[in-house]
Amino acid sequence: MTPATFLTILISGLSGAALLFLVGAGLSLVFGALRLINMAHGSLYMVGAFIAVVLIGALTSAFGFAAAIVLASVAVGALGGLIEVAVLRRLYKRDHLMQLVATFALILIIDGLVRVIFGTNFHRVSAPAALTGSIGIGNSSISVYQLFLMAVAGTVAGLLWVLVFRTRLGRSIRAAVADPELLRLAGVNVPLLFTTVFVIGALLAGLAGAVIAPYQTVSLGIDVDIVVEAFAVTIIGGLGSLRGAFLGAIVVGLVQSFGIYAAPQYAQAFIFGVMAIVLIVRPSGFFGQPER
Amino acid sequence: MSRTVGRRGGAAAVLLVALATAPLMLNRGDQYTAGLAVIAILFALSYNLLLGGTGMVSFGHAAFYGLGAFTVALVTTKALGNATEGLILAPVIGAVGGLVIGALCLRAVRLYFALLTLAVSQLLYVVAFESYSLTGGDNGIHGIPVPDFLNDPTTSYYFVFAVVAVLAAVLYLVTRSPFGAALAGIRENRQRAAFVGLSVKRYELAAFTIAGSLAAVAGALYAVYDQQAYAGLLYWTQSGIPVIMVLIGGMRTFLGPAYGALFYTVLASKVQNTTIYWDLIIGAILLAVVLALPDGLAGLPARVRALVARYRSSDDARLLIADDVPPQPDDAPLIQMPGIATAGNNAEHAATPAGAILEAHGLVKRFGGLAAVDGVDLDVVRGTVHAVIGPNGAGKSTLFSLLTGQLRPDHGTVIFDGADVTGAPPHRLARRGIGRSFQTTAVFPGLSVQENVRLAVMGAHATTRQPFGTVSRRYQSEVERTLELVGLGDHARVRAGELSHGDQRALELAISLAVKARLLVLDEPTAGMSPYETRRTMEMLRRVIVREGMTLLITEHDMEVVFGVAQRVTVMAEGRVIAEGTPEDVRADTEVVRVYLGDESLLAAGVSR
Repeated sequence: MTPATFLTILISGLSGAALLFLVGAGLSLVFGALRLINMAHGSLYMVGAFIAVVLIGALTSAFGFAAAIVLASVAVGALGGLIEVAVLRRLYKRDHLMQLVATFALILIIDGLVRVIFGTNFHRVSAPAALTGSIGIGNSSISVYQLFLMAVAGTVAGLLWVLVFRTRLGRSIRAAVADPELLRLAGVNVPLLFTTVFVIGALLAGLAGAVIAPYQTVSLGIDVDIVVEAFAVTIIGGLGSLRGAFLGAIVVGLVQSFGIYAAPQYAQAFIFGVMAIVLIVRPSGFFGQPER
Repeated sequence: MSRTVGRRGGAAAVLLVALATAPLMLNRGDQYTAGLAVIAILFALSYNLLLGGTGMVSFGHAAFYGLGAFTVALVTTKALGNATEGLILAPVIGAVGGLVIGALCLRAVRLYFALLTLAVSQLLYVVAFESYSLTGGDNGIHGIPVPDFLNDPTTSYYFVFAVVAVLAAVLYLVTRSPFGAALAGIRENRQRAAFVGLSVKRYELAAFTIAGSLAAVAGALYAVYDQQAYAGLLYWTQSGIPVIMVLIGGMRTFLGPAYGALFYTVLASKVQNTTIYWDLIIGAILLAVVLALPDGLAGLPARVRALVARYRSSDDARLLIADDVPPQPDDAPLIQMPGIATAGNNAEHAATPAGAILEAHGLVKRFGGLAAVDGVDLDVVRGTVHAVIGPNGAGKSTLFSLLTGQLRPDHGTVIFDGADVTGAPPHRLARRGIGRSFQTTAVFPGLSVQENVRLAVMGAHATTRQPFGTVSRRYQSEVERTLELVGLGDHARVRAGELSHGDQRALELAISLAVKARLLVLDEPTAGMSPYETRRTMEMLRRVIVREGMTLLITEHDMEVVFGVAQRVTVMAEGRVIAEGTPEDVRADTEVVRVYLGDESLLAAGVSR
């Protein structure tokens, strides 16, 4: 492997990690506060991608591109709010299984709706000219859009850190992660908190879908592909931990890109192999709390 | 009871006759579907051993189905074998797969476990999908050669039907066995199950292995019935199918998943390929079941009956409680413990040189930088009541968790009955004779009162390893005697979850007695109780301890209780022992008063005496 190849693979892995962080952070945040694994998280991502395809196609300027990304994220956030209020809220008092199964049902329902509304075709849009092409570093050329993805993820990571560690809402979220019982005693409006957190999680999924729309083809099925990888991210990092999502995303992103270089067919298998090893050493992932 | 059995037997007979006569009544296409439905029934039943039987949520069950199908496909097309040999090999492969995958995934519990099963099965899918030369990748393997009789649609149907009927019957016997009762206990209360002596993970692993083996048979049957196998069978959304079937049919009854499998397979065959709305339809049905009908279609009649029965029995229950113990005036003399106050009843134990049944030396447990327990020594003398008190956060609960194996100490040793048990898991300690109750009530809520105790008795006798034989009335006299002892004799058939708080505490005690505990560790036994319930509980403890010659180690907030029952008191603060002695010694200790300064309960207790 030449240094140039190495750099290309590294950047490719980190840009993959950027995407996985956006998806995994939302998944992890929702788990931390709501003790709910949202299997339909990938479906929200897919909806974000489809909405972005339409909006980016309609708003062609650079400003329009930014607006399209924001609008798509907000729309998915709103959809998340609807799901939380209409479905999940009824299930918090039931066992985890029913919540898990309800979100599985949502995968099927959202999949069905996307099929009806957008059809089964592959969709493609392009990013504005400023974000296409590549720049040369030494002998290797780096895709600008990959750098854009990393910038988005870095910004989101910073914002999430501020949100969780520097705001009132963040304090409630951390309290919910540590001890849900305490939350009720402390006089927090728990239903509102849960809705808010779920909306943020959905927003992140929508954002991830929106920014990926110009980067790869958008079609049915991208939901289940991403969600399984996002599960791997959160399992490795530890459910409910943002640090964990960050580290897990980098691990999975790099394993994937170097795995593709080494043995393209089994890249996904490598991810699960790494995951299995992490779990043998640390059953709750790097930063997860053991579940009882 | 017998009416329910009769009704269920009737439903089983109807299903059996309907499936047995299906080829006579259906056209060729529908008969083919019926065969697929019968295979799906085995798949769903095997899954429900995990979900409804043990309370384990797996999202990777399709991996075993696929493993079974590929076993047949590879044996017939790659190796020098025939379909029959493949069918015989499939359950073995499934069991080995279940054992290995289960051992890996069971390092985690609950939601992590669910995600792990999903991930591991996805790994197998990727391997199957990419190993093109072996598995045919996306295309799979078609035209699996089968013996002649399996080429005929009708005999092939009956073959599948016979295999599934036999295996379903075996599975039914297993769920009814002591082993099945242990699984139900794990489903109802995993932590409690460990404290009646069940090695929970081993039982879960056994259930996972059996379920995997049977799912592999279902997959193998599919391979000979449809004469194909392909990687898509292992895909993780395929693992959602048994979940859907079980939930629609209902996981609380044995045959519920079978109805769900029939419903799903028939609906899929009629609708799936004719509409783009299939995902939407099945998703909506599943969501409706989750929201409105948690026990599925099969649970509907039972749910109605339970509601009616509950409405009727609530009147009776009130009467029983009122009759149980006559109410005492609030200022009646507090708990007295004549039998043990003078250790005389336990002279033989007290006379033994090693008087301590439980000793702890230098126990330390740190969480991050904080030492929750910081060098604690404790001797609990046989046949006494020993109380550990201290302000909130003093480390009492952590200490108890160290003593009962839920946490492993960083330093120090725990000696029980002369043997070093430091860090031994709860089920081992339970078998040695340490019973424990929790701050939150720990019973098996979905089981009846007598089933709760019976499970504990079976745990103590290690009967729960038996996968065959029935459990009803087993150890009945022991169960009844134990229930009488704690005053629950009249409630034997009530569901534990429906008992009052005080009665649930009594049941907990009964469970601890049933596992033949010699040392009972109770964390705030009267937490959340009214003064009347407190009195009743302490009265019951007194009675039981005297009669059974047990030793009792408690934490308690209620100082009245502590000074009323304890012969020895250990006071903790900030993870250390600051005083130890008789109640009188401790009350006189200035350090204790300082720690408790402003704690009215202690002062009040002190003053009132």
